[in-house]
Amino acid sequence: MTMQDIDYKKTKTRLDGRKMNELRPLSIEVGVIPNAQGSAYLEWGQNKVYAAVYGPREALPKHTANSLKAVVKVEYRMVSFSVPDRKRPGPNRRDQEISKVLGEALDHAIFTEQFPNTEIGVYVEVIDSNAGSRVACLAAASCALADAGIPMKDLVSATGVGKAYGEIILDLNKDEEDAPDAVDIPIAIMPNSKEIVLLQMDGPLTRKEWDSVAKLGMEGCMQVYEVQKAALAKKYEIGEALVNGKKIAKAENKTESKVENKTTDKKEDKKSSAKTTKKKVKK
Amino acid sequence: MKQIVIPGEIVSEERKRLGSNVYVLNGKIHSKVLGIIDNESDTADVVALKGTYIPKRDDTVIGIVNRVVFAGYGVEINSFNESFIPRKAMRQEAKLGDIIVAKIDDVNELKEANLSYPKKLYDGEIIQIIPVRSPRLIGKNASMLDVLTNGTNCEIFIGKNGRVWAKDGNIDLLKKAINFIDENSYKSNLTNAVEELLKGEKK
Amino acid sequence: MRAGILANEISKAVSLAREGKRSDGRALDEYRKITVSKDMCENAESSTMITLGKTKVLAGLKLTVGTPYPDSPAEGAISIGAEALPLAHAEYESGRPSNDEVELARVVDRGLRESKAIDFAQLCIKEGEAVWVGYLDFYAINGDGNLFDAGSISSLITFRNGKMPKLDKNNKIIYGEFDGKLKMTKMPLLTTFVKVGGKIMLDPTFVEEKAAEARYSVATTEDGNLTAMQKGVGGSFTLEEVNYMIDKAFVESEKIRKQIKNE
Repeated sequence: MTMQDIDYKKTKTRLDGRKMNELRPLSIEVGVIPNAQGSAYLEWGQNKVYAAVYGPREALPKHTANSLKAVVKVEYRMVSFSVPDRKRPGPNRRDQEISKVLGEALDHAIFTEQFPNTEIGVYVEVIDSNAGSRVACLAAASCALADAGIPMKDLVSATGVGKAYGEIILDLNKDEEDAPDAVDIPIAIMPNSKEIVLLQMDGPLTRKEWDSVAKLGMEGCMQVYEVQKAALAKKYEIGEALVNGKKIAKAENKTESKVENKTTDKKEDKKSSAKTTKKKVKK
Repeated sequence: MKQIVIPGEIVSEERKRLGSNVYVLNGKIHSKVLGIIDNESDTADVVALKGTYIPKRDDTVIGIVNRVVFAGYGVEINSFNESFIPRKAMRQEAKLGDIIVAKIDDVNELKEANLSYPKKLYDGEIIQIIPVRSPRLIGKNASMLDVLTNGTNCEIFIGKNGRVWAKDGNIDLLKKAINFIDENSYKSNLTNAVEELLKGEKK
Repeated sequence: MRAGILANEISKAVSLAREGKRSDGRALDEYRKITVSKDMCENAESSTMITLGKTKVLAGLKLTVGTPYPDSPAEGAISIGAEALPLAHAEYESGRPSNDEVELARVVDRGLRESKAIDFAQLCIKEGEAVWVGYLDFYAINGDGNLFDAGSISSLITFRNGKMPKLDKNNKIIYGEFDGKLKMTKMPLLTTFVKVGGKIMLDPTFVEEKAAEARYSVATTEDGNLTAMQKGVGGSFTLEEVNYMIDKAFVESEKIRKQIKNE
């Protein structure tokens, strides 16, 4: 079956077995980098990212300091082996653009006026990727900031949403991004106020399609929010402490996404990377 | 009842006295940080689980000399800004890494703190805790501090900026006690529990 | 770590060292605990995460098809890169590789390359036309000293587990299909020491590296050979000290080989 033949309207399920409004498996663990003020490790589908926060600290070089508020500096980078074709070391233009939009998204959520003349350094590193690495990094960075104790109006929850193979879908994977009609829209919101702090799009959509996409995207962000919330609460569960009146399940180290989908390998396109025996990363 | 809250989460839908780390939006009180609230309290206050020290007037703090220049010393007090002590304000000479105990005189809008009565502390060790835990280590009428001092035979100085300075005595035991307090900070009768812990270890 | 706090920690490390002690209670010739996880990065031909105490290093291998050097038409190549990510420590900066990062990569590279554990002829695809080039990059995720040995261990395990991608008839890589593994005939490992307060200690933490007057790394193989050496930082060593460290390195690296022999 070639790409041209795939039609989600007919198959009703996606190449990896998910429903149209289903996220790939998402798990988050905070406090994984001891040297950082706050940190998080996040796995979302094949994406794996680390986020670390250093600050508020003295802004250097001095001319970057703002006497009215903290400067939020995000650096988005990918390790050379995080992509199918080796990425040469050093930031490229895509890295720069992503760093900028992530920084702007987080800046809106942080009470930066509380820390004039300082800088908050947020470093996100992608160690493995398969579409949606920037929203993965944003979700991780948001948790790292909370872990660091940095005052925020809200978390920032993000997801990819868009269209592929004739359907509006949530959280496109790489095979879907490569679809001939693919449109990928990373979107991030502050969950309580529903303010949109990141929004990008490449590809054509009709005005009507946009309405469905926007709605689905916001729902997807709320799903991500639930996982972020649980990951933060779990890190600091203290004995009998409760979250909203319910005891937090102890069992695993990581907080698994509520979305119970096991990606089935069977329908995966041959082009996607091989499923080697994937051992769980020990943090 | 104690509850964990995350940034943005609603702490109270009703009007309450406002404590630390909260903000109001559309009549509701939200948390600014990851922390613990007591939703039975009449104050909406979030105890941050982490965080740098925000200087307050009259707080006693323990600082470390981070910078030595002709005019004086840059002292790092676990906040995002250094405090500067002019050379003539210090009776003793200090060098990089020296430990200073001082009182916060006043704080400007940039959260920079002026220190008064700076005094050098000799030898000893610094134990780092989260700033919000400092009052617990001191206790009502310094009751916890007494228990710690007697139970470990250390000379102890507790800074409100999340630093404890200790000298002589059983410092490892003190660290153990501090960890214990950190993990059980929300429980009642903690002072007694710590006293028992220290007695037990002494044997 | 702010300058003042670091200065404190350094003087503590030095005074403890003079008594033959260390802040974490280790013996002078003791390694921290090492843990290994593999294959977490599916886009890599091989990946390894190592923890050495609190130091956390991630290494990964990408194999690409390249043209051979004219003077070695039937040999492939490897290239090793290192980055102390700003993620890993407040002091690590982003930007072009620092002198430390360059030294780190080159020392780990020499230890591996000079051991001849990888036969570059095995990396030949078509003589004069196409060869495999293996790019191994390792990254510090949390920096608490001794990125040298952590880099060396993670690189070794990563190379040993390298999957060779399948090629089509035009020698283009077929994604997701593999044929065989990279072969290594030996296990070269770096062992790093520092001199603090006049005493030699193995596997330094971040503070111990800062407190060091001098540093020495030596790469050894299990058949009793030395494959690389590097004296770093200022200071000096006596010949006796160097000989002591070399003998120690053989013993300690062998312990690590035992631990990772099935990795």
